[in-house]
Amino acid sequence: MSKINQAIYEIRSLDTLANENRWVNRLHPLVKLWVTILYIGITVSFPKYNLSGLLVMAVYPVILFVVGEISFKDSVRRLWLVLPLVCVVGIFNPLFDKDTVAYFGSLAVSGGVISMITLMLKGIFTVLAGYLLIASTTIEKICYALRLLHLPKLFVTQILLIYRYLSVLLAEANRMTQAYALRAPGQKGVHFKVWGSLAGQLLLRSMDRAEELYESMCLRGYQGEFYYGSRIKLRAADMGYLSAWTAAFLVLRFFPVIDVIGRIFVG
Amino acid sequence: MSHIHICVEHLNFSYEKKQPVLQDISLFAGEQESVGIIVANGVGKSTLLKLLVGLNLNFEGSIRVEDIPLEKQTLPKIRERMGYVFQDADSQLFMPNVYEDVAFAPRNYGLPEEEVERRTEAALAAVHIEYLREKPIYKLSGGEKKMVSIATILSMTPDIILMDEPSVALDPKNRRNLIRLLNEFSHLKIIASHDLDFIWDTCQRTVLMAEGKIIRDGKTEDILRDGELLEAYGLELPLSLYEKR
Repeated sequence: MSKINQAIYEIRSLDTLANENRWVNRLHPLVKLWVTILYIGITVSFPKYNLSGLLVMAVYPVILFVVGEISFKDSVRRLWLVLPLVCVVGIFNPLFDKDTVAYFGSLAVSGGVISMITLMLKGIFTVLAGYLLIASTTIEKICYALRLLHLPKLFVTQILLIYRYLSVLLAEANRMTQAYALRAPGQKGVHFKVWGSLAGQLLLRSMDRAEELYESMCLRGYQGEFYYGSRIKLRAADMGYLSAWTAAFLVLRFFPVIDVIGRIFVG
Repeated sequence: MSHIHICVEHLNFSYEKKQPVLQDISLFAGEQESVGIIVANGVGKSTLLKLLVGLNLNFEGSIRVEDIPLEKQTLPKIRERMGYVFQDADSQLFMPNVYEDVAFAPRNYGLPEEEVERRTEAALAAVHIEYLREKPIYKLSGGEKKMVSIATILSMTPDIILMDEPSVALDPKNRRNLIRLLNEFSHLKIIASHDLDFIWDTCQRTVLMAEGKIIRDGKTEDILRDGELLEAYGLELPLSLYEKR
C-alpha cells in the first residue's frame, strides 16, 4: 500500500473508530472535550522535577485504552511520526542541568535527566489524550462541543472543512501518483523534475474540487453555520464521568499519591 | 408543486470576453416537464445548469423561477425549490455518512429534528436506498453515490430537479435503476447529458445546443430520430434507435 493510500486508510479507520457504539463514544462530546482539556492542563502544570507525580497521570490514558477498548498498538502506530518529535523536546536538558537530584541505588541522576523525562512524558500524555478524544468522538461532535463553548463558527467550520478536505486532497494526490507510477515503471518515488507540475496540478484540482463541494453546500442552504444534528442531552452518566475525572485529576495533582502508596507498602 | 416553471430569456454568458459560452438562450420549461439538453461539442451544458441555480450571476438576460427573478437576494428562496445533482457525486457528498448527508439541507433550512428525520427517511425511501442509511460515504459504490446524491436533493422537497450528466460512470443495472427512478418523479426535470439513449428514455422534450446557441427545441422523438440533424452537429442517433432502423 502506498503512503498516501495508507494515510487515507488511517483517516477512515479513525472515522470508523469514532463512529462505533461503545460507551466512551456515547458520552457527551462536551464532557469528553472538557476532560481532555483539563487533563492536558493538569499534566503540563506538573513541576519539572515531579516525575513521580506525573507518572500517576498515566492512569487516564491507561483506563481509557482498557475500558474504551481502543487498541494501544494501533494508536502508537498512528502516532509514530509525532511521538519521536515530542520526545526530542527536552533532549538537551541533561547538558544544561547537571546537579544531582536523586539516586537510584548508587547511580546519581541529574536534574536534567529528570526534567527531560518529565517533558517527554508530558508530551506523550497530551498527544495520547488528544488521540483518545478523536478516536472516540467524531469530528462533527467535537465541532458541536466547540460551538457549545461559543468558539466562533468560522473557526469551528474551518476545522471541520479542513478535516473533510484532507481526504479529498489525499485521494486526488493518490490518483496523480498512481497515474505517474504506471507511466514511470522502475522509478522509485516521483522524479524531482516533475515535483513542481505535480504539486501545481494537485493544487488546481483540489481547488476545483473544493469549489464544487462548496457550491454543493450552498445549493443545499449552507449559509456559514454547520448544524450538527439534534441537541445532545447531558445524561447522569456524562455528569458522573466528568465529576469522577475532575476529582481524580485534582487528587492526582495536589496529593502525593505515589508517596502515600509507597509509605503503605514500605512502611 | 403547482405552476412551477423556469423562464430563461435572452441569456448570454461568457467566462472571458470575446469567448461567449451561451448566446441568446431563451427557454421555458413548465410543470412536470422533463427536458433533455444535448450539446454538440459538449461545451455549455454544465454552465447553463449552474446559471439556472445561480452559481454564477454574471449573466446577461433574465432567469425567472416561478416569476421570481434570479438575483443574489432571491437565491435562498429559489434554491430551496431546486435540486441540482452534480456530474461527479464525490463533489456532492461531504458528510461522514449517508444519513448526515441527506439531512444536511433540511437542517440548514432550520427544520426541527423530527421533520429532518422524516424528510431524510422519505428521500432515502424515494430512491430505494433505506439500507444505506448509516453507511459511510467512502464505502459506497459509484451507483450508490449517485442515488445518495439524488436523495440529498430530494430531502429539500424541490419542485425542480437539475441533473448534469447523470448516467456517467454508472453500470447498466444502476443506469436502468436511475432511468426508472427519474420516470417515477413528477418534478420538472432538466437533464443535461451527452448520453442520447438516456435522454431518449427519460425526457419528452429535448433542446439541442451548439456553439452556445439553441439549435432546436422540440419533442425528443422528433429530434433524436432526426439522423441528419444530429450528424450535422457531430452527434449520432441513440444506439437503441440504430437497432430499430
